[in-house]
Amino acid sequence: MTFEPQGENRFIVPIGPQHPALKEPGHFEFVVDGEIVTGASVRLGYVHRGIEKGAEDRTWTQNLYLMERICGICSHIHATAFVQGVEKLAGVEAPPRARAIREIFAELERIHSHMLWLGVAAHEGGFDALFMYSWRDREVVMDMLEMLSGNRVHYSANLIGGVKYDIPLEMMDKIREGLNYLEERLLHYLDVVNNDETFIGRTRGIGTMTREQAQLLGAVGPTARASNFAYDVRVDAPYAAYAEFPVEMVVAKEGDLHARFVVRILETMESIRVLRRIFDNMPESELVTRVPRRIPAGETISRVEAPRGELFYFIASNGGEKPERVKVRTPSLCNWGTVITLAVGHKLADMPMILAGIDPCFSCNDRLVMVKRNRQDPQVWTWADLRNYGIEYYR
Amino acid sequence: MNLTIHPLIVLLFFPGGLFLLASGLVFQWADRKLVARFQNRVGPRFLQPLADMLKLLAKEEIIPAGAHRGLFIALPIIALASALTAALYVPMFGVQPFFSFQGDLIVTIYLLSALTISLGLAGANSVDRFSLVGATRTLTQLFSYEAPFLLAMIGPALAAQSWQISKINAFAGETTWFIVAQPIGFLVALVGLMGKLELPPFDAPEAETEIVAGALTEYSGRGFALFRLAKDIELVIGLTLVAAFYLGGVSNPLEFLLKTGGLLLVMALLQTAFARLRIDQTVGLWWRVGALMGLVQILAILAGIYIRQWWL
Repeated sequence: MTFEPQGENRFIVPIGPQHPALKEPGHFEFVVDGEIVTGASVRLGYVHRGIEKGAEDRTWTQNLYLMERICGICSHIHATAFVQGVEKLAGVEAPPRARAIREIFAELERIHSHMLWLGVAAHEGGFDALFMYSWRDREVVMDMLEMLSGNRVHYSANLIGGVKYDIPLEMMDKIREGLNYLEERLLHYLDVVNNDETFIGRTRGIGTMTREQAQLLGAVGPTARASNFAYDVRVDAPYAAYAEFPVEMVVAKEGDLHARFVVRILETMESIRVLRRIFDNMPESELVTRVPRRIPAGETISRVEAPRGELFYFIASNGGEKPERVKVRTPSLCNWGTVITLAVGHKLADMPMILAGIDPCFSCNDRLVMVKRNRQDPQVWTWADLRNYGIEYYR
Repeated sequence: MNLTIHPLIVLLFFPGGLFLLASGLVFQWADRKLVARFQNRVGPRFLQPLADMLKLLAKEEIIPAGAHRGLFIALPIIALASALTAALYVPMFGVQPFFSFQGDLIVTIYLLSALTISLGLAGANSVDRFSLVGATRTLTQLFSYEAPFLLAMIGPALAAQSWQISKINAFAGETTWFIVAQPIGFLVALVGLMGKLELPPFDAPEAETEIVAGALTEYSGRGFALFRLAKDIELVIGLTLVAAFYLGGVSNPLEFLLKTGGLLLVMALLQTAFARLRIDQTVGLWWRVGALMGLVQILAILAGIYIRQWWL
């Protein structure tokens, strides 16, 4: 007789699609033995919106706004990834000031995203005071974004070949003031994360991922960097103005939840530092260059560092007004494997925090698998079927 | 303060019954408001707990398939009844308890535990995975804080040489506050009360991000309202007990308000200051630290009594 939970005797705690721990729908099944998790599985796909297919039916400019809506938290970075791919295909480059403004928006977005995450992750661990305070302070950066663009969520700063808004000096001064306040608060949160006994009890040594595991599971972004895997698109393949205004990569060795907190907070402070440098040396130039309406035929990839990690776009053009194919690979998709692997052996109480530790974004990684009409069993696809389908599709 | 009122009025209106229910809601509001202010939120309006309660009472009660029907309906009533009964032996609102006998301290603590046990039974009864995990945690937590809490309550009882709450209360009013003589006991009692009430950071049994609402996940409408009310009353009783034992007793309504209010303020602060403890951390904390500290306290008191007797 084994004590391995099997078949009917397994006690499964389902989390989601509707659950207080989840802010977006996803389904997780944790097999528990008492409080210990012995198995985990994930099922996504509750919020598929067909954006990739929708992109094929819109012009290049219209798509800019569609791509922004893939994610409500990192909206700017999606548009940036798209626009940089299109510019590469068209063979144009955005003017220096436009590129700097793109970086400004991207870093402000990173600040707001990381602060949002800090609150959510603290809430998952039952630390509501940190949740409330970090979200209150996040309003400062939301106000900055609203001042710059008029919107809190979808800033729509990008245009193909440049940006829409200039940033006047008065606004820069206001942002600087806000950044000073934020830096002070972040130092405080870093202190809390590092020194609060109960908080450390919930984070240190929990969900530890080694560098090898991170590499094997294909983790990206702060999740990977917390496991000492030094990879950041902003540093390794600079885009926008990151070559002129570089950021320093934040890496931690421990690989546990605590390291993920520290890496994200330090990254936010690094964003503040680089923003100040951009404001000090803002390049002067036009905001847009001319881009033809029809983008020359070709294929390209575009990589950017979203707040959650590497964001990857594949864009194919057939020389028309609309893209032939846009493929988006979002960072959350790369990090799911780590959750499932790290969950096993931990307590049920740690699950929400391990889950939140990768800063998951559900709706941006839901994809549709097409079901063919005249097939016996539409659920199962063999490799030959998929290959055939691919050949048919691109014929 | 000593009043003579007809026993039926005592049971139904004051200080038991309606007045107790109302004060439970007021204390719930005060607790929520204080926590909210500490977290930089606005918090609920004064009548919010009452509105919640009325709304819940008017709602349909859904009994899950597979649950024992009678037990499902009876448990919230037992919980509320035991809380209301426990209040009769405690100097609520600074009024002398109307029913009092040698050993009512044990009965009160027993009745308060009966509340938690009905909570655990309710979770185990309503065949739901979240409820089951919640019930397990509720009972685990019961076994971890109960002994230290009892030890902390025994401290003043030993010093007063009585097992009668009213006598201990009177004794505490005459000597220096027990918080000075037995600071460890006070700490254990206050934190034990938080564990009893499943307040953060000891809210693992109802951790919403893990197991939704724990043992009460399947409860809605009246059953949920009654459980909630029972907990509110437990809060008032617990605060009164700690104030009566450690803060120099409660002998009039003003003293009651000031002392329980002060305790609630400290408790709200403790609720905001920490991240939620895992259930294994809770058990570890109580048995490794709480119970040990309580025992040391008791031994010190016993030694003190022995030395004094030998001296005189």
